[in-house]
Amino acid sequence: MKSYLRVRCNKKFLATIRDFVKEKLADMNINGRVSHQIVLAVDEACANCMIHQHQCDNLSTLEISIYKEGDTLYTEIKDPGKAFPMHTYQPEQLQEIIKKRAKGGLGISLIHKIMDEIQVKQESNYSLYRLGKKLEA
Amino acid sequence: MEIKTVKHPQYTTVIPVGDIDANSSVDLDQAVGELLEGGESNIHISCKEVPYISSAGLGVFISKLDEITALEGDLVLSGMRENVFEAFNLLGLHQLVRIFENEVDVEKYFSQE
Repeated sequence: MKSYLRVRCNKKFLATIRDFVKEKLADMNINGRVSHQIVLAVDEACANCMIHQHQCDNLSTLEISIYKEGDTLYTEIKDPGKAFPMHTYQPEQLQEIIKKRAKGGLGISLIHKIMDEIQVKQESNYSLYRLGKKLEA
Repeated sequence: MEIKTVKHPQYTTVIPVGDIDANSSVDLDQAVGELLEGGESNIHISCKEVPYISSAGLGVFISKLDEITALEGDLVLSGMRENVFEAFNLLGLHQLVRIFENEVDVEKYFSQE
């Protein structure tokens, strides 16, 4: 069964997203380190959509869903905006980010380090980010 | 977010309270920036009241590292919960900044400098 949450593209709702993901994972008996990692990856993906795809436009919304398929936990983010290719995006090396005193560029790295599958689909009127994490038996 | 600062003879402690995410990291960035502008260069961030940090929070530390090094100062952290350390660990950032278990160790470190 899929669980859904719809939020406005406002960074203050990132905490709501984290609470939702954590709660749904707990319902599926996914807790501790794995839960924290998934919460972090979803937070990063949603923040990226809100900031870079929607410039925090309060009128736009994101829809987050969570479900299990076999031994993999999936979270999907349905975004009415244009897709950002986070599955192929190559973030800069950490040393480069430090040199530039950049504040950004780390979120996508975290998503890649945490999730086992990253799929991005551009549909006619929305984009879909599907993040999969294999669960240990 | 609520941010407390405590001045010590050799360093200044910054104590953020609550989650540091893309929303609240702006406040932390401003607080540390103001200290640097005011001439402080030895900064201690106490993470004891931070249950969660995202890349936006980590980005604040990274963006200040060069500036603090140029001032011949130091940026150290302490009191990290497991979740917060995990975020540092995933990016290898724990190798770039000194992380102490508690404030007693931070005080010892700056006293020896």
